[in-house]
Amino acid sequence: MTDLALEGVSYRYRQGATLALDGIDLHIRAGERVAVVGQNGSGKTTLVRHLNGLLRPTLGRVLHDGRDVARRTVAQLARTVGLAFQDPDRQIFAGSVRREVEFGPRNLGISGGELHRVVDEALAEVGFAGEASTNPYDLGASRRKLLALASVQSMGTPVLILDEPTTGQDMRGVEIVKLLIDRAHAAGRTVIAISHDMEFVAASFDRVVVLRLGRVILDGSPASAFDEGSWEALRSTYLEPPLPAIIGSRLGLGATPTDDELLAAL
Amino acid sequence: MTTALAVLAGGLLGPALLTAVAVVVPAVIGRIFGRLLRTALLLTLPIAVSVLVVNLFFFPAGRDVLFQLGPVTATAEGLEFALETLARIGAISGAITLFYLTTPPSELVLDLERRGVSPRIAFVALASVQTVPALVERAATITAAQRARGLDTEGSLWRRLRGVLPLAGPVLLGSITEVEARTLALEARGFTRPGRRTLLWWPPDSARQRLARWVLVLAVPLLLVARALGWLGWLN
Repeated sequence: MTDLALEGVSYRYRQGATLALDGIDLHIRAGERVAVVGQNGSGKTTLVRHLNGLLRPTLGRVLHDGRDVARRTVAQLARTVGLAFQDPDRQIFAGSVRREVEFGPRNLGISGGELHRVVDEALAEVGFAGEASTNPYDLGASRRKLLALASVQSMGTPVLILDEPTTGQDMRGVEIVKLLIDRAHAAGRTVIAISHDMEFVAASFDRVVVLRLGRVILDGSPASAFDEGSWEALRSTYLEPPLPAIIGSRLGLGATPTDDELLAAL
Repeated sequence: MTTALAVLAGGLLGPALLTAVAVVVPAVIGRIFGRLLRTALLLTLPIAVSVLVVNLFFFPAGRDVLFQLGPVTATAEGLEFALETLARIGAISGAITLFYLTTPPSELVLDLERRGVSPRIAFVALASVQTVPALVERAATITAAQRARGLDTEGSLWRRLRGVLPLAGPVLLGSITEVEARTLALEARGFTRPGRRTLLWWPPDSARQRLARWVLVLAVPLLLVARALGWLGWLN
């Protein structure tokens, strides 16, 4: 299992451009579930792409278990950090669902019966058990997204990063994503997700990191991040606290970021 | 137009003069001479070098020997012919580069439409130019997504070759599936509607530009006649 750390990380995409990340200090312990939130353009995707070396800091360091990863290639870091992109169509290439999901684990050197097993497991998890030979492009957009998640999940990396996993999913899809995160968490893996869905964030994560203009402006449990005292900061980056948190606060019930917590308090 | 004139004028001096008047002067006024020179050189350097070498050493009618280089002989006639050809190539590439650097594709297409070219053809011309940056961006994201899944793009040549399919797949598939969406979007905005379009804006076309164009057009038959009658000997 792997501890991740960013130390004073700043990043700009081009010389002379504004800083996409501006002095980020962040430590993520092995096994944490961390949601990264913030308005569009606040640096969420830029931040997570530093964790597997796709982007290298303009200033500062990225550490895995205390060791600087500057000299390690993305392919090497992919053994530790699996990252599912936001747009599945930029990722899916194979002629069948099975071959697509096999690609990641195969790159990590998994083969034979073990490969078959991890792929079956990942497929079952997103409800694709009967679709192993389907062509990915025969699936709808939201199911292709689940396929993209499964194809990274199957790599079994100690750290799993999901970029907006619930976008475009109906309630059933969101449930599947939540279950996938719970299982990875139960297996001791670190899960990091970018999301705009605050109810999902409150329900599935232990920690919320709020970004604004490339800086961390809030970092804490859902209860503290969605507490009335944080609303101003949240709204400064165009985020709305989840409804149960607002209702709980109105009724003087304390921090109730999820439906269940609100109902329990009532 | 400059291109046609450069070929017609013949000789060394003709194209050189033309390039100076119709390419270098406007480029200097437009403050793009540096970029023009660089682009034009990049475009023509390989062909220019081969023209020079081949003609210098292998010009069939070459008699006047300049120097010997191993088994081959450089001739003055060959050099002269090579320089004439280079002058034309210079004029052609200069004119094309000037056009490319000063004309945004969108303005070119609007102007074509105004002159009655079918909007379909105009769209295809524009789309093919404008898709390139989008395709480059898409390819970059796809490469990043596959590297995140452990694809080794930094290793040996063989490893990289093996990695082409997962990269090419989404680029091609994505572009193809996008065609349908694009068609529907165009259709929804009345792209195939018959009749003339009203342009809300078109590129300005000043009196001086029109005059310059007509001078160039008229110069073509004039040069043709002058060349046929042998009045252009002084240019050689």
